[in-house]
Amino acid sequence: MKSHKVRVIISVVVILTALLMFFWPSKTASENTGVFKYFSNIKLGLDIKGGSMLEYNMKLDEGTDPNEIIDNVILVLRKRLDAAGYTEAVVSKVVSGNKIRVRVEIPGITDIETAEKLIGSRGKLYFAEVIDVQTSDTKPEIRRNKYVVINGKEEPIYDYVRDLYDETTWYKVQKYFTFGKEPFEFTGTEVVDANADINTRKKGFLVNLKFSSQGSKKFELITGNLVGKRLAIILDNRVIIAPVVNQKITSSSAVIEGIQTIEEARNVAALIKAGNLPVDLVKFQERTTGPTLGKDVVETIVKAGLLGLLVVMVYMIAFYGWMGVVADIALLFNSMLLLGVLAGTHAILTLPGLAGIILTFGTTVDGNVIIYERIKEELRHGRPPLTAVRFGFDKAFWTLFDANLTTVLAGVVLYYFATGTVRGFAITLIIGVLGSMFTNLVVSRAILESTSHLINVKKYQSAAVEEGKR
Amino acid sequence: MIDFVGKRKVFILLSLLLVITGLIFVFTKGFNLGVDFAGGTEFVISSDKEISINEIRDILSSIKSEYATAKIAKLKNLNVENSELFQYSVVLKESLSGSTALKEELIKSMKSKFSEKGIKIDFLEFNDVSGYAAEEIKSYAWYAVIISLVLLLAYITLRFKFSFGVGAIIALAHDIIITMGFYSLFGIEINVAAIAAFLTLAGYSLNDTIVVYDKIRENMKKLRGKKSIEEIVNTSINEVIVRSINTSLTTFLVVLPILIWGGRAIAPFAFGLAVGVVVGTYSSLYIASPIVIGWIKKAKTF
Repeated sequence: MKSHKVRVIISVVVILTALLMFFWPSKTASENTGVFKYFSNIKLGLDIKGGSMLEYNMKLDEGTDPNEIIDNVILVLRKRLDAAGYTEAVVSKVVSGNKIRVRVEIPGITDIETAEKLIGSRGKLYFAEVIDVQTSDTKPEIRRNKYVVINGKEEPIYDYVRDLYDETTWYKVQKYFTFGKEPFEFTGTEVVDANADINTRKKGFLVNLKFSSQGSKKFELITGNLVGKRLAIILDNRVIIAPVVNQKITSSSAVIEGIQTIEEARNVAALIKAGNLPVDLVKFQERTTGPTLGKDVVETIVKAGLLGLLVVMVYMIAFYGWMGVVADIALLFNSMLLLGVLAGTHAILTLPGLAGIILTFGTTVDGNVIIYERIKEELRHGRPPLTAVRFGFDKAFWTLFDANLTTVLAGVVLYYFATGTVRGFAITLIIGVLGSMFTNLVVSRAILESTSHLINVKKYQSAAVEEGKR
Repeated sequence: MIDFVGKRKVFILLSLLLVITGLIFVFTKGFNLGVDFAGGTEFVISSDKEISINEIRDILSSIKSEYATAKIAKLKNLNVENSELFQYSVVLKESLSGSTALKEELIKSMKSKFSEKGIKIDFLEFNDVSGYAAEEIKSYAWYAVIISLVLLLAYITLRFKFSFGVGAIIALAHDIIITMGFYSLFGIEINVAAIAAFLTLAGYSLNDTIVVYDKIRENMKKLRGKKSIEEIVNTSINEVIVRSINTSLTTFLVVLPILIWGGRAIAPFAFGLAVGVVVGTYSSLYIASPIVIGWIKKAKTF
């Protein structure tokens, strides 16, 4: 009887853990409405809660190693999305054969076109003269702006730009330089490299900048005219750093001194380097689902699934009596277990994943049916109920094991090869099938061994007698 | 007891017919490939008034003449905040090849052209898959199918016997080909979800077959020498038939409501399973076991 007790204890512990995982109050609970309320602990895929998945190819020059560039691309996109307020967006690398792509997943987005522009554009890093610094909660207004013609377009020369870290610090900057024959701008394309280093001559750390040959000519002109003044380096309309120009710089490199920590120096260097995307991005695929559609589909599937579940439960009771009731308990147990595991592991539930859960109903019922047919056989041989239950479970073990393992194998292969939402299906299928084995072999057994007296033995034994007569 | 084995030639013939018909459909009519495999752009719009398919086509072709060949379908109505919206899906053969400009033009002009008619439309879904992406997904689908077949064959050989492995794979191929035939016949879209359905079906079909084989294995040990192979196999099938029917019926009962009400997104998946469960049960009873009989007879030791 010892193993029976162990089974009971394990079953109780497992279901309590699953319930705890699933119902543990989460922070996001209040944001969800409708059916989603009950799924607040489960990470939902973009196809359910709505959102956009964009995948881009990098347009590389020949001989460029994509591995060297991809991290930079991800960093740039990450910064841009954060700056635009899409903090929940995920930027990741996709390796496919010898190709490397970048994938951006933005949940709950409504203005997809803006986001696309944000991702697709090469980004704007530029240097500008600091005229004034102000503290303000909102962007100060420029009263009398001047205009210059740059690349054939008339552009305002002054602008207020916010500090990257301090939300209330605003720099009034002059975006275009007017020292030469023509007004000009100094953008990130002129910067070839930027890296952080320790300052060997003075205290602190520095950032080395390297310019292109055209860039160094422009930089010489700028620094020559702005000695003693501050030059801001601006990325996507945020001031990264605004050092004072100490002297005219005639070489193709410059240093920014007086940085307190190595982290800060590295960050500045990374941002300057990250300013421009090193490559053009070409969209490879896009999948966008609006929140209304996802919700509608989920509601129908959940309803359909529950209907199916109900029909199966009634069928099982009608066919197997008390054993059917146990099968139904197992079915609910496994569904709960699956949801608990999803909540606990933060696996993403997608639409096909939902279908996977519903399929798990089938697997669980199947396991029970295999076992019960065994038990019935044992009963027909005239064994007492408890012995029949034990024999039934023991004999069905390997059948269940072999049969379910093939499904798990198919699931694992699917997990490795599928991308996106279908992967969610593989996840629920694998968890569900393993869970159904546990539920059938441990939970159902624990219940049936305790309640074997409720099995209608006569029904099967008399059937055996009748068969014998024929 | 039902005689499954005695009439096996009739059923093998029937299966051959079904497989051949399936193959004919697959190779002549072909598949309704979704954008996952063919590439292209598909989107779903909702509107506050009912619009005819031709109206949508006219507006599409006025934006760009190539859009005139779009596949347009009306979907079930949508209930959003107590008002009913009409829903349409549009599939453009060509991908916009990732052009944000083309996409923006398409969305903006559709919205403005419908609003001229006093209809408010919204884009609910927008998928754009370039031809390259489609190619890649296609090659992955093949890898997935081949690798799972090899793994499954290896597993069954390990746990049973090679002949059983071959029998199971033949039954599996039988199920998949016939199901594919049904996809072709009814023009159900083949997308990534449909591939997921095929792989699940593979798992199910083998699961079914293995339960029967397991019984045969057991009865061979028990009854060897007392009964002929044919009788043993037939007894085994009869012993598992209740389980087979119960399992298929319950799975079918679960999948059927999804097929009916699940809508466009999940239909290709539910269809494959609903058909596959029926075919799979049939094959595990009538095909998988009878075809191994000859083999077992040759290799008398088990």
